[in-house]
Amino acid sequence: MSFFHGLNFRLRALFRKRDLEREMQEEMRFHLEQRAAERADEGLSPEEARRAALRKFGNVGSLQERGRAARGWTWLESFGKDLRLALRALLGSPGFVLLAVITLGLGIGANTAMYSVFLSIARRPLPYPEVSQLERIYRSTAQNKEGEFSAADYLDFRAAGGAYQVAAQARAEFNLADAGRPPEVAAALRISANLLGLLGVQPQLGRDFRPEEDAPGRERVLVISHRYWKSRFGQAPDIIGRQVRIDGVSHEIVGVLPASFNDWRHLGWVDVFRPLALTPAEATDRVQPRLRFLARRSTSVTPEQGAAFVSAFARRLAAEHPAENAESSWWTESLAESVVGNNGPMTLAMLIGLSGFVLLIACSNLANFLLARTMARAREYAVRAALGASRLQLLRPLAAESLLLALGGGACALGVAYVFLHWMMLRSTGDNGEMVPLGLDWPVLTWAFLASLFTALAFGLAPALFALRLNVQATLKSGARGSTGGRFQQRLRQLLIVGQFALAMILLVGAALFVRGLAELNTRRAGWESDGLVTATVLLPGREYPGAAEIDAFQRETRARLEALPGVQSVSLSGTMPFFGFGLARKFVVQGRELPKAGQEPAAVTNAVSPRYFETVGTRLLQGREFADSDQPDAPRVFIVNQAMAQGLFPGESAVGRRLGRMQGSAIEWGEIVGVVADVKSVYAEKDPVAYQLYQPVAQEAPKLLEIGVRARGTAAAALVDPIRAAMTERHPDLPLRRLQPANARIERANYQLGVLRDLLGCFALLGLGLATLGVYGVIARTMAQRAPEFGIRLALGARVRDITRLVLASGLKLALLGVLFGLAGGYGVSQLLASGYPGMQLENGPAMGGVALLLVCVALLASYLPARRAAGINPMETLRAD
Amino acid sequence: MAQKSDLLQGSLDLLILRVLSRGELHGWGITQKLEQLSKSALQVDEGTLYPALYRMEAKGWLQADWRQTENNRRAKFYALTRSGRKQLSQAQEDWQRMSAIVDLILETA
Repeated sequence: MSFFHGLNFRLRALFRKRDLEREMQEEMRFHLEQRAAERADEGLSPEEARRAALRKFGNVGSLQERGRAARGWTWLESFGKDLRLALRALLGSPGFVLLAVITLGLGIGANTAMYSVFLSIARRPLPYPEVSQLERIYRSTAQNKEGEFSAADYLDFRAAGGAYQVAAQARAEFNLADAGRPPEVAAALRISANLLGLLGVQPQLGRDFRPEEDAPGRERVLVISHRYWKSRFGQAPDIIGRQVRIDGVSHEIVGVLPASFNDWRHLGWVDVFRPLALTPAEATDRVQPRLRFLARRSTSVTPEQGAAFVSAFARRLAAEHPAENAESSWWTESLAESVVGNNGPMTLAMLIGLSGFVLLIACSNLANFLLARTMARAREYAVRAALGASRLQLLRPLAAESLLLALGGGACALGVAYVFLHWMMLRSTGDNGEMVPLGLDWPVLTWAFLASLFTALAFGLAPALFALRLNVQATLKSGARGSTGGRFQQRLRQLLIVGQFALAMILLVGAALFVRGLAELNTRRAGWESDGLVTATVLLPGREYPGAAEIDAFQRETRARLEALPGVQSVSLSGTMPFFGFGLARKFVVQGRELPKAGQEPAAVTNAVSPRYFETVGTRLLQGREFADSDQPDAPRVFIVNQAMAQGLFPGESAVGRRLGRMQGSAIEWGEIVGVVADVKSVYAEKDPVAYQLYQPVAQEAPKLLEIGVRARGTAAAALVDPIRAAMTERHPDLPLRRLQPANARIERANYQLGVLRDLLGCFALLGLGLATLGVYGVIARTMAQRAPEFGIRLALGARVRDITRLVLASGLKLALLGVLFGLAGGYGVSQLLASGYPGMQLENGPAMGGVALLLVCVALLASYLPARRAAGINPMETLRAD
Repeated sequence: MAQKSDLLQGSLDLLILRVLSRGELHGWGITQKLEQLSKSALQVDEGTLYPALYRMEAKGWLQADWRQTENNRRAKFYALTRSGRKQLSQAQEDWQRMSAIVDLILETA
């Protein structure tokens, strides 16, 4: 009761101030009149009675003041007044406000945007029920920590049951065609019929796969993604039951997934799902790793128990089938963790950290601005303190000022973050229009608000607290202009500058390393030459090209057709292009040597290539011969190995003419090495896990997914694109030709996500550099202005202008050098971090650190040069007289 | 003129509450009542009275209403609320206990 009464009273006091004020005056007037009447009764004249009453009553104003204080909102009222005063004070120096708001906006904005990215990628929950029970299971081998499973592994594990329900998926791109539209390659997954149910996803339209459809012959049904429904079928309502041709065979669309399933973080951008439907040959295969596992742990099993179950199962499997499984182990990871990827957490943490550095630089700049402003008004504060203002009263206007700046900065930051995120979304949009949804939602806004508030409190109140430490007497006695601040304040400001330079150094080193590293990746010519090369991908439908003979025929015919085009030097077809890494690692043994222990055979990554491949992609043949048209499907098997493999397996001997055996489970296929070529490196930032590379003729190891490479002669690669397309569609109107473009464009595109990262780092570094420059300029300029009388005296006593300039430059340089020194350590740390996250990148930190240090010193000199010139231009007489 | 004596800290609140427990009064009335009851020994300073009234109103012990006086003047009348009554009995008890202790010491020391 009384609480509400009190609250009501207080709220009235706050919002109906005017009424209460009037009531208070009226009440006191009544009191005075009564008192006067009493005195008048005692015989005083009305005038005398009134005066006596007033005398008795005391100071009405001060009484009213105390009455107001008793109502309990004075602090808020006077804070409102402080805010108004602060606003007026800030409006008085718009330049300062603009600087502070922009500084804060950039710092907080960059940080907020990064936080939003972090949330969208790492923290947004996956849209599945009981997601904590979902796990990925991997098969770790020497070549691949997140390896895949053979179909037999899957069937065994499924039969073992126990702690997990397991579903399997396999990548399966295919050509999709429907009436009246050109065919296209669809990003597809073959999934076991229980996968969607296991995730807990229901199709939005139609139905899920039925268990009996997970069998060869029954599998001609499709579930498509919401996105594909929109983009390919225009959201047609009669989509269910529609027939489309998959590699020429008619399939029925039975379901459309909800839009929320389109979570790019988990399955990637899959457009079409079809049943796994393992063929009898696949189902008994223990060798070919082709399946990824998705599992739901039963609720009664802890993650540790689950992990133990999985690894125990793997050991049992290894004991039963040592040839295929001895060298592998199984492990689990929660689905939520698996979506962030390998470099994800490190990269995100680094981005948030580095954007935090930008914010710190911005904050220390703000602190410096405010400190300088407070020092310039030191006298004002000293006078107010001398007149009896309490510490709180001195502190409040300063707090109000920084609060206003924080609000302005926060608003500006939201704009900056919005632009940042929008840019990132555009920039990170992938080939298929896949876009990472980023936005300013409540958690992000809260972050921005808290960051602003923190900034205001930490870096706005710090200078205010220094104002409280002022020695009143000393300040009043010192020069009329205000002082440069005591030694302590001076130290603090210098410390802030040193810190800024150190942070800027770290940002710049990180950015410089990454810019150089990525430029090296994009221009890498490691055993191949991408200038003048055009590439395209085709997927040969299994019905028309069931075996090696048909694929070999396609290969010959395509080469002949394209080599006939004007301006074409040579044409090749291959399983992959060297700049995009190699295919699966396989195990090999050397003929005439003792077989190594099962599972410990040397592994090599492989590529299937046509004749003239090495000539086309620019890989040097070191020994022996290239593949020729005579290497037919039924001809003796032949291999070409890279230098590392030749030297590793046959040290000091010639590899050509030696025989290798390729392990097929426990069977071995023998072939002869006919050539040795140079090592090649991919353009990816991850290190290639296997050094041995082996090539087989396309005719003997026929892949259905083929890369066409066309080397131009004399003409620009881009000019060949249209003739190639015309030549191919003329002959194969139903065969989609994907990503037909100059190799360099594709290489650039391959690392586009790193490009985003590079741009971000560059952006942070430039921001940091700009802010630090501003900071050092501001501090030096202000110190110089305050030391003007001193310089005046020096000049009057015969110092030369050069001496003054040197003095100013030296003070700026000293700070910069100290900052750079500290920054070197931090820069080294960042370079190590990057090197651990991107082992395939060349990150030499020596030149980058040297260059950045030099840049920072130059910037500091420049920033001090302007104030130095002004200091040198001092007229001694004027300065001395001004005081 | 009676000698003006400073009230002990907190005792003014108690006196005001006690006076108001007999019925509602305006500020002037309270000073009059206190003077009268103390036989003019106590003259309440307006500078302390009104802040004390506002403070107690904010605490919810008093409730104020504008009403006509017998001379047809508008005045603000203060009355005890329920929690004001509770406060009064509490403060009265405290006071009596305290003054007993003080008396005891003054007499026996």
